[in-house]
Amino acid sequence: MSIGALDAMTAYGRALGVGAEQGIGGLGENAAAATPKGAGGFGTMVESLVGTTAAALRTAESAGVKQVAGKGDLIDVVTAMGAAETALDTVVAVRDRMVSAYSEIMRLQI
Amino acid sequence: MDLDTSLRVSASGLKAQARRMRVIAENLANADSVASTAGGDPYRRKVASFRADVDRATGATGVKVQAIDTDKTAFARSYQPGNPAADATGYVLTPNVNSLVEAADMKAAQRSYEANLNAIEAAKGLTMRTIDLLK
Repeated sequence: MSIGALDAMTAYGRALGVGAEQGIGGLGENAAAATPKGAGGFGTMVESLVGTTAAALRTAESAGVKQVAGKGDLIDVVTAMGAAETALDTVVAVRDRMVSAYSEIMRLQI
Repeated sequence: MDLDTSLRVSASGLKAQARRMRVIAENLANADSVASTAGGDPYRRKVASFRADVDRATGATGVKVQAIDTDKTAFARSYQPGNPAADATGYVLTPNVNSLVEAADMKAAQRSYEANLNAIEAAKGLTMRTIDLLK
């Protein structure tokens, strides 16, 4: 159980991009104090991921609309849809992983 | 990402082969198109040629239709004095389209398109399986 929590914290820190600089000690500090910086980091990351995905989805949608109107290329629609699908799947997988890591930290025995 | 780039390369292959199919369709459709004036030239067969196309952003080499050229081989002649397109001696020039050649070309375009589709499918499957590692 404790190893799982450590893994979760490491993954959380790596995803935030602080793992390399602060190591596990810095992370422990972050998690224990629940600093707003950590929360902001996660929020910012999710925000940027969602933003990228939304842009990909918008591109796919406009390609689809063009195709329906008879002006677009079917191959463009397929590739745009594929890119959007990949982006969405990635963001969902990362979010699930982050949330599970976060709840693992919340369940941490002190 | 490389898998993403390979999708784009395969998409360029799809586009090029689709264009080639269009040219073949034009040739087949116009296999009997004669001149609009007496003694004039009929439809001339078109040929699509491809070239490698390097995408500067990713460094990947896709494919592009270089040009749609015309086939320089001679037209066939047939004696049809009653045809409006016939010249003074009664001969009509007919297009240099050979439907057997077009059928073979079409098969090649079809196979190439399918190969690109398979490459897309493989790259997409690998991407999805990689994402599944996170789950």
